[in-house]
Amino acid sequence: MKTYSIHIILNGESIKIDVAAQETLLETLRDKLGATEVKNGCGKGDCGSCAVLLDGVAVNSCLTLTLQADGKEITTIKGIGNDENPHPLQKSFIEKGAIQCGFCTAGMIVSAKALLDTNLRPSREQIRDAISGNLCRCTGYKKIIDAIQDVAFESKP
Amino acid sequence: MEGMDYLRPRNLRDAFNAIEKTKGLIKFIAGGTNVIPDIRAETLSPKLIVDLSVLKSLYYIKETNRTISIGALTTISEIVKSDVIRRVAPILSSAAHQLGNTLTRNRATLGGNLADASPAADMAPPLLALEALIHTKCGQESGRKISLDKFFLGPNKTVLAKDEIITKITFLKPKESAHGSYIKLGLRDSMAISIVSLAVMLQVENNVCQKARIALGAVAPTPVRSYRVEKELEGREMSIKNIHEIAVLIEKEISPISDIRASAEYRKYETSVLLKRAIQQALERGKK
Amino acid sequence: MSDTKKIETPHKKSFKSVGKPQPRHDARDKAFGYTKYADDLSILGMLYAKVLRSEYAAANILSIDTKKAEKLPGVRAVLTAKDVPNNETITRFGQTHSVGGFEGLYRVLADKKVRFKGEAIALVAAETIAIAEKAVKLIRANYDPLPGVFDPIEAMKPGAYQVGEGKSNVICNYKVRKGDVKKGFSLSDVIVENTYRVPFVDHAYIEPESGVAWTGEDGIINIQASTQVIEHFREIADVLGFPHNKVRVIGTMIGGGFGGKEDITVETYLALLAWKTKKPVKLTFTREESVLSHSKRHPYIMKYRTGATKDGKIMALEAELISDAGGYVYLSPWVLLYSTVGATGPYDIPHVKVDSCTVLTNNTFSSAFRGFGVPQVCFAYESQMDELARLLNLSPLEIRTRNYLRKGKALATGRVLDHYVALPETAEKALEALGKKRRPRSPAEKIGHGIASAMTSYGRMVFLHDTSRSYVGIEMDGSVTVRCGVQDLGGGQASSLAQIAAEELGVPMDDVRVYIADTALTPLAGTTTATRQLYMSGNATLMAAKEVKKRLLEKAAQMLDVVIDDLDLKDRKVLLRRKPGKTISLKNLVRACASDGIPLYKVAQFNAPFRELIDFKKGQGQVFPDFTFGTHAVEVAVDAETGKVQLLRLIACLDVGKAINPLSVEGQLEGGAIQGMGYALMEDVILKNGVTLTPSFSEYLIPTSLDVVDVECIMLESRDGVGPYGAKGVGEPSMVSIAPAIVNAVCDALGVRIFELPVTPEKIVKALKKA
Repeated sequence: MKTYSIHIILNGESIKIDVAAQETLLETLRDKLGATEVKNGCGKGDCGSCAVLLDGVAVNSCLTLTLQADGKEITTIKGIGNDENPHPLQKSFIEKGAIQCGFCTAGMIVSAKALLDTNLRPSREQIRDAISGNLCRCTGYKKIIDAIQDVAFESKP
Repeated sequence: MEGMDYLRPRNLRDAFNAIEKTKGLIKFIAGGTNVIPDIRAETLSPKLIVDLSVLKSLYYIKETNRTISIGALTTISEIVKSDVIRRVAPILSSAAHQLGNTLTRNRATLGGNLADASPAADMAPPLLALEALIHTKCGQESGRKISLDKFFLGPNKTVLAKDEIITKITFLKPKESAHGSYIKLGLRDSMAISIVSLAVMLQVENNVCQKARIALGAVAPTPVRSYRVEKELEGREMSIKNIHEIAVLIEKEISPISDIRASAEYRKYETSVLLKRAIQQALERGKK
Repeated sequence: MSDTKKIETPHKKSFKSVGKPQPRHDARDKAFGYTKYADDLSILGMLYAKVLRSEYAAANILSIDTKKAEKLPGVRAVLTAKDVPNNETITRFGQTHSVGGFEGLYRVLADKKVRFKGEAIALVAAETIAIAEKAVKLIRANYDPLPGVFDPIEAMKPGAYQVGEGKSNVICNYKVRKGDVKKGFSLSDVIVENTYRVPFVDHAYIEPESGVAWTGEDGIINIQASTQVIEHFREIADVLGFPHNKVRVIGTMIGGGFGGKEDITVETYLALLAWKTKKPVKLTFTREESVLSHSKRHPYIMKYRTGATKDGKIMALEAELISDAGGYVYLSPWVLLYSTVGATGPYDIPHVKVDSCTVLTNNTFSSAFRGFGVPQVCFAYESQMDELARLLNLSPLEIRTRNYLRKGKALATGRVLDHYVALPETAEKALEALGKKRRPRSPAEKIGHGIASAMTSYGRMVFLHDTSRSYVGIEMDGSVTVRCGVQDLGGGQASSLAQIAAEELGVPMDDVRVYIADTALTPLAGTTTATRQLYMSGNATLMAAKEVKKRLLEKAAQMLDVVIDDLDLKDRKVLLRRKPGKTISLKNLVRACASDGIPLYKVAQFNAPFRELIDFKKGQGQVFPDFTFGTHAVEVAVDAETGKVQLLRLIACLDVGKAINPLSVEGQLEGGAIQGMGYALMEDVILKNGVTLTPSFSEYLIPTSLDVVDVECIMLESRDGVGPYGAKGVGEPSMVSIAPAIVNAVCDALGVRIFELPVTPEKIVKALKKA
């Protein structure tokens, strides 16, 4: 099988990798790079659980060929914050009970981050719109929107 | 889909050279939101995939005195955010905002949506109502301009040749007195494939319709214009009675199918209901 | 939490941890992306499994040729029915107590006959997924297609195609008889008769079915999977012909279950492949595979006849329920029982006649799904209530108030309600919160209000003799360990145990570590189903924690020369109630106990009330430990021209007994309400001749963030549940009465009623045109 050599920056780390033409970014992240924090809920862009930031833009990694990410920055939830350095979004999700089974959480926080990067004080409607590609089956969305709105109000420009 | 090759062309000529040399199915990819699911479902098995997304020169929204020009690789998200489009052609903004969901809009491109040619292609009805032109580039020849209403041939079929790509989409800026409306009916409010979608552009003076352009999606094998209803509207007074009478005629112009989302009868009925509504909305915008 | 209203009945006890909104301990790992779900697991040398599934809904399998597949380089095993030591087992319901009469055939791999499209025919394990997929395609199955039957009513007819190997497609039927419905109808001034239909529905958890398995020391088969029931290790062992103590199931954090991961999904396949290949194996379903092949909510056809006097007193209820069990029995008899016992709703009706049956067809098999047969009948009985109200010119609240059960009254099955019944209270409060109808925003828009009440059981059927065990222990440094078999679906099942242990032992919740879901290492707590975990493992943990607390305080009393009643545990200390300054640190107390050889751990077993099997001939007896009562109130805007329904407000008012973690309880109420909304308005697994026409999330629609409204929660706390601290279960009750509330609201808006779910825009337009 033919492979191509590319280089990506994953959560700040520069990585050289060989990939096949049909390989999606989701597959590369999960299967080759151990980035299992990016989830596979449907494999075809219907659920958003695979969302990552690609050069800062929130996209479905299952709908991106890894070759198309060549030279680009990929940010997963681990690049947004962690235990030692949590992002306000992560703290808010935890505190507001916005996480039940947690499977949609990584994708939700990616979409929320993308929103807050361009809109510091989104309305509730704008938040709904920003996560319109992220399905959640457990929470009914309310606490997720509450959590994002809470951060929005605290953000400084 | 093993054995697929990938080409990242430095420019269009690169792309066409490679295409000439390749035997077997070639597929262009831009945002990938349609192409990738098709490859994974094996409804598409290309030998070579040509990645157009790297051609930076095809991302733009330009406004001149008379025209709007949108590069084929402009993402749907960019169209949603564009102040120019919102000011000049709000029906296009509206359609863009209701396509897919936020994540897919960040990747899907205008050229890709049109080239995929789904009968329910979200961007087609407003562009048809705006009488848009598709500009292409082709292998050895320089390319051509195709009126959008001559572009679609059937479900997922267009007039594009194997080695022809869309480079830009243009339309004349509607006159000040022209106003439009776009309505999409789906089974839910995000990530919904249209049951019926329609776009209307009306130019009205003294309550008489001077010019009407009506375009529909998801109710025929391709997105379509309704020339007959347009002609009926032009020259008529925009009274409620007239609008109702004329709108019903649309049911004869379309041939929707029944599928898991909706029956043909419901689609027909809703087309005339929503057409009335769209005309009224366009008129109201004209009054403001 | 500011918009949640909590109405507390005054009580003496004040809580330290319980009752406070607490961030859940599993939330941190999930927020940072650390949690490993089943598909995130990886073992060196792991093989990948794929399943070959039947192309036909009904067929004889004439032959299966696996030679080509076996020869493909990289393939390590290809298994068919002949390779399974015990391919067929009989499922008997109940982990500890056998209940005869409802035995269903469970087949690992299809053998000679196929009973639904998507039934597993063969298994492949290979070095990569790509090779496994290729190998599956190389297996040649030779079918002789059979006509099949796809409608339960057709399937019941004499001479119908037999789905299974028996003489009838009818699995079982039940009756409830109370009084004399003929008499009841003769006493009625109005009679309403309608047939209601509800469809196949998918659980649509965002995490597809997944697991890994490996052979460990001494030939033990280990399976780590996303499952609601680790106790399936017994069935898996039986399939392999292993002793039960040599199959270990470890439950991962589950990405949503809702009953869909209650039956075995991947576990047996994994066990077989790991056993055959002696290598680790992973199996994850694709979304399409999940929709195609896992259980669904039972479709029901429900014929209801309700009679009432002109004052609105219901005199008679007659119901005929038919459910579509699909290709295999699974939990159909139990779902049917819940529907049958719940068919009258939370109402006191003097004359009742219910007849129900569940029938095999060649559709995808139906089994457990949040609510377990009750959402279906609730749609019927709550629609009937509003129809009666309309005919009698009474408000929806009035007619219900005249008929609600009260504490001390009996159900139609004879069981007397011995705990507080929060009706009409929840209905009154929900309606009060709903307030006045808002004005329509356009000529085509119609606004409607609707309510629906329900009583939903929590805890398993009492004749199953349900038990649950939990270990609570204190480490030398005063940190607390809980070990419990509880499977965590995301509903905070594990976290609640931490909260209870923290409450009893007077430590912050962060000091408690909960180890869960390992059949080898954690005391078995039973299934995470039937809204039973808080009740069962919560009580077991409470018992264990109380015992440990008692031992600590006994030692402390001795050290301080006081009586136990003078002492309490708080903030990692023992303190004297009347002299708060006098304390012993928990750590020092633990050391003192250890020095004395006092065991500071306890494995407690909580037994639910054990009752005998009910009399199925008359449907009399106790079935459930207790019920949660609640009402949903809804405001909708309906576009009368397109039929589109927009939810404007959704209020959930339930008596939750005691909210151990209010954040978690709200989460259930909000999430359950939206799942109910999906059931009402858009969810439908469309099967035509056994073929699924809605294979993915593009066709099978669940609510997105743009479709929903912010659910408003009103939690009543009667403290009268049978769970710890008087808690009641809310997991299922939170979703039961939303669909009828929405449909009632739509009817209120438009003046026409829809008798079938989902209430799609097209159905509304059709109904309006007919009217």
